[in-house]
Amino acid sequence: MTSDLALPRYGLVYRLFGVVVAVWITVVLVLAILGPVSNLPILEHTARNLYFHVPMWFVLYAGAVVGAWHAGRYLATDRAVHDIRSEAAWMISTLAGVVALLTGVIWSRFTWYQGTGLWWSPEPRQNMVAIQLLISGAYFVLRGSLDRPRQRARLSAVYALFATASLPFLTYVLPRRQASLHPGAEGNPAFSEMDIAADMRWIFYASAVGFLMLGWWLYTQRVRARVAERRAEHLGTSAPLPAPVVS
Amino acid sequence: MQTADTTIAVLDPTAAQAVTEQRAEGIERVMLAQDKLPVVLAVVLVIWFGLLLLLFRTDRRLAHIERQLGERDA
Repeated sequence: MTSDLALPRYGLVYRLFGVVVAVWITVVLVLAILGPVSNLPILEHTARNLYFHVPMWFVLYAGAVVGAWHAGRYLATDRAVHDIRSEAAWMISTLAGVVALLTGVIWSRFTWYQGTGLWWSPEPRQNMVAIQLLISGAYFVLRGSLDRPRQRARLSAVYALFATASLPFLTYVLPRRQASLHPGAEGNPAFSEMDIAADMRWIFYASAVGFLMLGWWLYTQRVRARVAERRAEHLGTSAPLPAPVVS
Repeated sequence: MQTADTTIAVLDPTAAQAVTEQRAEGIERVMLAQDKLPVVLAVVLVIWFGLLLLLFRTDRRLAHIERQLGERDA
């Protein structure tokens, strides 16, 4: 097999990690749904969405950072595995972004925009993220339009670096300069002491960690599947396949 | 077996509440507490366990394919 596609060994530790994620998120779900919540007007029980909506943003950012890192590594080393990792991270990041956008739309529709009939509210971060998702989506369009693997890998790596560069400006800097439902719009950093009640704070952190781990799990599965696919193609071209091993 | 009398719930919410409060015992005492949030939890957990099953099965399938590819490479 080509060293271009070398992956770490996914052995016992990896399987234990899956069990940890399973238990972790199960506990988080119990605490998030049954735990204490500061029962504020407008928000009421939907304050629990904090535990589900916001961690999606964490996964969006983490995926974009990992995607950009491996895009850079690909350009530096020319190893195919970095192209595969970059694409998988972008896929998870974009998926989390779409989920975050949709959950935000649903959440705001029935809280601050209750009675207005506004599904698409004038929330600046919502608009900016929609733009960012178009930029992310174009990454996959670009990939799909190129046939030669090395050309596809190189061009999409460069594009991924530019797309990540726009992410903090569109979703962090610009929305803060306008009135927003999100914390931090008043010029203070998000997640200050006053924003989250003490009881909810720890459940929120645990949830963020849990969903980041889940995102990493999905990412590794995609990477493994892609690498296996490439290795199978490689086998097919260089040597005739032996009869499939049935176990 | 006793069937639920849904007509009460439709016609007279207070009477329906009195019935649920009166009958709350066993599993119902747990599930009807806290604005019935435990019911939401039960539904969410069923979905989550279904997704977990899929994730673990995918892991096992990938490990199987990787083993096969390793044998052919050698």
